[in-house]
Amino acid sequence: MNTVTTLPLPRRRTSRHRLGSTLRTVAIAVVLAVLLLPIVWMVLASLRTTLDIVDPQRFLTAGFTLDNYRGVLSRYNFSPFIANSFLIAFASTLIALVVGAPAAFAISRFHVRNATAFLMLARVLPGVSLLVPWFFLFSTLGVVGGYPVLIGTHVFVTLPFVVAVMAGFFTSLPEELEESAQVDGLTRAGAFLRITLPLSVPGLATSAILAFIFSWNNFLFALVLSSQQTRTLPVAISNFTAYASVDWGGLMAAAVVITLPVILVALVAQKYVVSGLAAGATKG
Amino acid sequence: MITGTAPAGAEPDAAHLSAPGPVFRPEDHRPERRRGLRDRLGSWIDRHLKVLFIAPSVAYIATMIAFPILYTVYLSLTNSQGAVTRPFDMVGLENYTHWLTDTDRFWPATWRTIYYTALALALEMVFGLAIALLLRKSFRGQGIVRAAILAPLVATPVAIGMMWMLLLEPNIGIVNHMLGNLSLPRLGFLTSPGQALTTLALIDVWQWTPMVALILLAGLSSLPDEPYEAASVDGASRLQQFWYVTLPMLWPTMAAAMMLRAVDALKSFDVIYATKGRGGGSEHEVETLNILAYGQSFEFSQYGRASALLMIFLMLIVAALAVIHILRKAGQQ
Amino acid sequence: MSITRRNLILAGGLGTAGLTLAACGGGSPAKQDEDVTDITVVSGNNPWVQGLEKHLDRYAEETGVAVHLDTYGNEQLNDQYKVKLNASDDTFDVMVFQVQDVAREFARNGWLLDVTDRVEAESDWGWDDFQEAAREAVTVDDVVLGVPLMTERHVVYYRKDLLEKAGMAVPTTLDELEAAAEALHDPGSGMSGIAMRGQAVAAVTQFSSFLYSFGGDFQADGASALNSDAAIAAYDYYGRVLREFGPEGVTSMGWVEASALFAQGRAAFYLDADSQAYTFLDESSSSVVETVDFAPFPAGPAGSKPYSIVPWTAGINSFSRKQDAAWKFITWATSQGMLTTLMSEDTLPSPRQSSWDDDAAAGSFPAGLVTNVQATLDGVVGHDRPQVEQVAQAREYVGAPIIASINGEDVPAAATKADEQLQELIDAEAPA
Repeated sequence: MNTVTTLPLPRRRTSRHRLGSTLRTVAIAVVLAVLLLPIVWMVLASLRTTLDIVDPQRFLTAGFTLDNYRGVLSRYNFSPFIANSFLIAFASTLIALVVGAPAAFAISRFHVRNATAFLMLARVLPGVSLLVPWFFLFSTLGVVGGYPVLIGTHVFVTLPFVVAVMAGFFTSLPEELEESAQVDGLTRAGAFLRITLPLSVPGLATSAILAFIFSWNNFLFALVLSSQQTRTLPVAISNFTAYASVDWGGLMAAAVVITLPVILVALVAQKYVVSGLAAGATKG
Repeated sequence: MITGTAPAGAEPDAAHLSAPGPVFRPEDHRPERRRGLRDRLGSWIDRHLKVLFIAPSVAYIATMIAFPILYTVYLSLTNSQGAVTRPFDMVGLENYTHWLTDTDRFWPATWRTIYYTALALALEMVFGLAIALLLRKSFRGQGIVRAAILAPLVATPVAIGMMWMLLLEPNIGIVNHMLGNLSLPRLGFLTSPGQALTTLALIDVWQWTPMVALILLAGLSSLPDEPYEAASVDGASRLQQFWYVTLPMLWPTMAAAMMLRAVDALKSFDVIYATKGRGGGSEHEVETLNILAYGQSFEFSQYGRASALLMIFLMLIVAALAVIHILRKAGQQ
Repeated sequence: MSITRRNLILAGGLGTAGLTLAACGGGSPAKQDEDVTDITVVSGNNPWVQGLEKHLDRYAEETGVAVHLDTYGNEQLNDQYKVKLNASDDTFDVMVFQVQDVAREFARNGWLLDVTDRVEAESDWGWDDFQEAAREAVTVDDVVLGVPLMTERHVVYYRKDLLEKAGMAVPTTLDELEAAAEALHDPGSGMSGIAMRGQAVAAVTQFSSFLYSFGGDFQADGASALNSDAAIAAYDYYGRVLREFGPEGVTSMGWVEASALFAQGRAAFYLDADSQAYTFLDESSSSVVETVDFAPFPAGPAGSKPYSIVPWTAGINSFSRKQDAAWKFITWATSQGMLTTLMSEDTLPSPRQSSWDDDAAAGSFPAGLVTNVQATLDGVVGHDRPQVEQVAQAREYVGAPIIASINGEDVPAAATKADEQLQELIDAEAPA
């Protein structure tokens, strides 16, 4: 009891401090709720029948069902679209790594500013403005609607990302290692391949994950340039409402099928994704 | 517009001069010829490393950008339509005058684009900064929180559009249901012509605020401590510290994030198209320039008209970037 | 492949000053393959395709030609055609298309083969047996672009229980329809008097019958007629009944949303195509199976003039290298026997008169619909949207006054503006 009166100052500070941290916790909880609850709701809706979805009274108490997912795979036959999305995102990411990593290395070691700016142009231009001429070109060549065209245009999305993220990464690597490797008789290119690249696995992983996500999410290019055989998931789901009546359950299941893979990848690799986003943004 | 690439040796190359590589390369005393060949090849590669490494990327981007832009300029002066194989005539600037005098579709679409971008950008910067400050000090479980706020920005926009269509459905959506429970008026959201565009801008805010927050968080964590210590010694309040220390030092990062988001918001397409379909609704209530240009190109096959519209759109984007660039410079003064 | 200006011959065709499309059926015919063992059919998802699938093996046995079938959703279908035909794709032979949406544009692009001579030459197949409106529908500027696969008419769906309860007769005029909708409109209990499409572009086709029955049309003598007194009266009527006795948020309703209301028992009247009848007769999706009935389109000042159109047509890809085999398949798939079979098996509204005269086939339909088909053989109009090349663009123009009318805005002003826009589009399409 005596202590109460002897130490008024720190005590007040701690109570104010405690109030502050409580407020902060509440604020963080609110932010999380606003950002995450819609996604949770989408997942819940995908596990309900459409009849339960359209009746808000029954929504929360209804039982779970996997019928919507079965419908997505059988009735709406999404399997080929899933395969297409994977193939195109994977291939365009791989090409971007092979082409973009050396470019990023040269940009970081030789401080080439023009090339960076030029590659960043690809981030700025609206896709529609490129699509008309692309469509003309690929139509005239008779290759529109094929995998090569889709992969090639998706590289347009993935390459700038890889270059931006990797250039930042290479800059943070000390040059001494490469130099000492050259003293040991390796060529400069050899030093890049044998020394720098193995050390850059985290950077490569970051840019690969990001590039994959952005290619996976891309809607516009496939909307114009894909055929039925090469259609990707975002285009498939945008056509969903073309079927007779609105099958909310099926629609939400399809949405979950598309978003869950990328969200899971991002969660598992969140450190990489955050650092990559920051690097890619500040370099722009 | 930035044109041309960086030719080799365009700038003095300090790194190259100081590189010890060539100095320590063994002389041609090797008996095996193969080794010598490989050496010669290796040294040739090294001498041209910069060009060899950069050329493929730049060549690819140049082919995919330079040709399209030039071709779009050319098409914008023609009356090309229907099929790409159909012959067309030069019509001069007719397509441009068509759009610039079109008070039905073009000007409303322009204002909608600007409104959508300005609203989304302002809210994203404010909320993004608030969340970044909120997460600045470390706390237990911060990794989980940072991972969780990633979800909206990596989620596929088209699917997100479908998700909000259900949440905001006027009759069965949970949002109206909650509003009803709170005895607030129910809203039409995406289905009501007066509210749809604002609703879409808010969906954009939901999806991209985390991105801004994460970028600013990275910016905050790299700020030095000394100015804060100095400010504390001077007895500056928290608010003063934020205003006189944090904001000025964070400004370059904020400007970079603004650039990024402004360009992306101007180009917004996926969610708008997925939720409202062709033409941006019954009264074109959400028809932005991008939606209009897409419709002209691929629904009406008006390639000439669409190309002119795209050139105008491009100029708008360049103008927006210039404005932000000027702001950036002003902020650094 | 491309059209040259030399080939463009002025022809005062119906409606638009169009082109002689014969010139566009591919300037030089694609090189033809000799021994054909398989053909590819691309189609939208429709009852004809669903019914025909079961018979394709038989065709392969009889002729030695295997048939590959690619089906798409409607909007995807047109996007697919644009992508593939722009690239001069020859990997498909028979193309099933929506004649009113794309026929003019595809023909001008040189994508559709002119089959005029083929339908005339095929004597025992019986081109004359196809209903006149159907034959007209697939003929653009005197060129036949394909063979009709099914037909579709405007019809009134109504709740006979509600009419009986109110002691009202089935409306036979538009004025009676409005009065009945008013009497049955009860928003308090969630019942709308009438449901129709209100989304600008979607509503255009359903607005057409009102326009004709008021004595108007989209075009007259090659010029826009959207600001005629008849058109303004029709716009006014269509918007007024929806504004006063229609559901909430009607301006964002296509047929999917509007028909769902009727199927859920939340609308007393629903006017749309008769091909949707089955959604109301299906226990799993409809609560009005017992109470729905059908009536012919009500008469306006100019009589009852509903559209009667051909939603799907089978044509030939002009880049195909198997055109003869494609034509042979089309004649088999549209033969009298096949279409009558599909009508009785899959309730496909056949475009052939002989199918409707066949009691067994007609018996597979609800009686109300059959009498409606027989009743509307005269006075029907064979198109339900503007007859121009850029139909999508024209529908946007024509739809705007519908929205203005539903919102209670200035209809004459909106109609005048739409008229100018449509006229500009017609002028732009006229060959210089």
